Amino acid sequence: MEKLVSVYWFAILVLVAGGIFIMVYTFYHQPYDVRMVEARILSNNIADCVSQEGSLVVNLDSNLKKDFLTNCHLLLGDQDPEYYFEVNFYEFPNTINSVFEIIEGNKNYKADCEVQKKQGYENLPKCIEKRFYSVDNSGNQYLIKILSAVGKVKENAK
Amino acid sequence: MVFIKNKKANILVENIIFIILNLIFLAILILFVVKQGSGAVVVEQSYAKQIALLIDSAKPGMLIKLNMEDAKELAEDNKFDFDKIVDITDNKVTVRVSEKGGYSYGFFNNVDVSVYPDANNDENYVVRIDNYN
Repeated sequence: MEKLVSVYWFAILVLVAGGIFIMVYTFYHQPYDVRMVEARILSNNIADCVSQEGSLVVNLDSNLKKDFLTNCHLLLGDQDPEYYFEVNFYEFPNTINSVFEIIEGNKNYKADCEVQKKQGYENLPKCIEKRFYSVDNSGNQYLIKILSAVGKVKENAK
Repeated sequence: MVFIKNKKANILVENIIFIILNLIFLAILILFVVKQGSGAVVVEQSYAKQIALLIDSAKPGMLIKLNMEDAKELAEDNKFDFDKIVDITDNKVTVRVSEKGGYSYGFFNNVDVSVYPDANNDENYVVRIDNYN
């Protein structure tokens, strides 16, 4: 009976149970972070909206900027949106200065994306950059860069 | 001789009790881990996010079937109707497996979505993307 009642044995039990409880609690109470996937889907949707099969399907004019969200069927939220994206069109051979730019969503996220490039923080929006090439009707070649960011910190990070 | 026999029996009983207690302790721990993994909070969150991401990447005309066996089991345990597990309102997917609680996650794809249990498989849910709004 010495084994059963010994303080040593009881301490071991408490330690093991406590350790497992802490590990399990930490693991399962951490939300699933799906922001990178969401940002990638947002980028893909925007890419599909501006270019299909390598051809530009939009005219780079003021109407495109004005109705971009409606035409691309995106709903980012009216007040304090949890999303941000910018689309930059560069005409070859100049791939430094963009000829056309579309920016939508929460503009504060742009600075957060710069910070995230240097070091990843859980409590900042997750950002992803996608780039691809497209040709318009006149044969002009464009490099298109899409930066998309998803906030939703409460739902995805602790 | 009698004294030695009793002592041996004592040691055997002690060891058996010791092993049984260890096994009970281990069983409780395993049960706790399993229970946490299939808890309502985890299940609701994972399904809500899965459905929201599916809708985000879907296009009109698509019909998505999602196996929701885990949610169904939990709903049955809580005596909650399987038909009410998933709800989509104002671009938000809400999954709940009991009267209280639930988890909501938003999506950005501006589509008209309807969700309902699959008539052919009672563990599945159907997510139908009708049109762009």
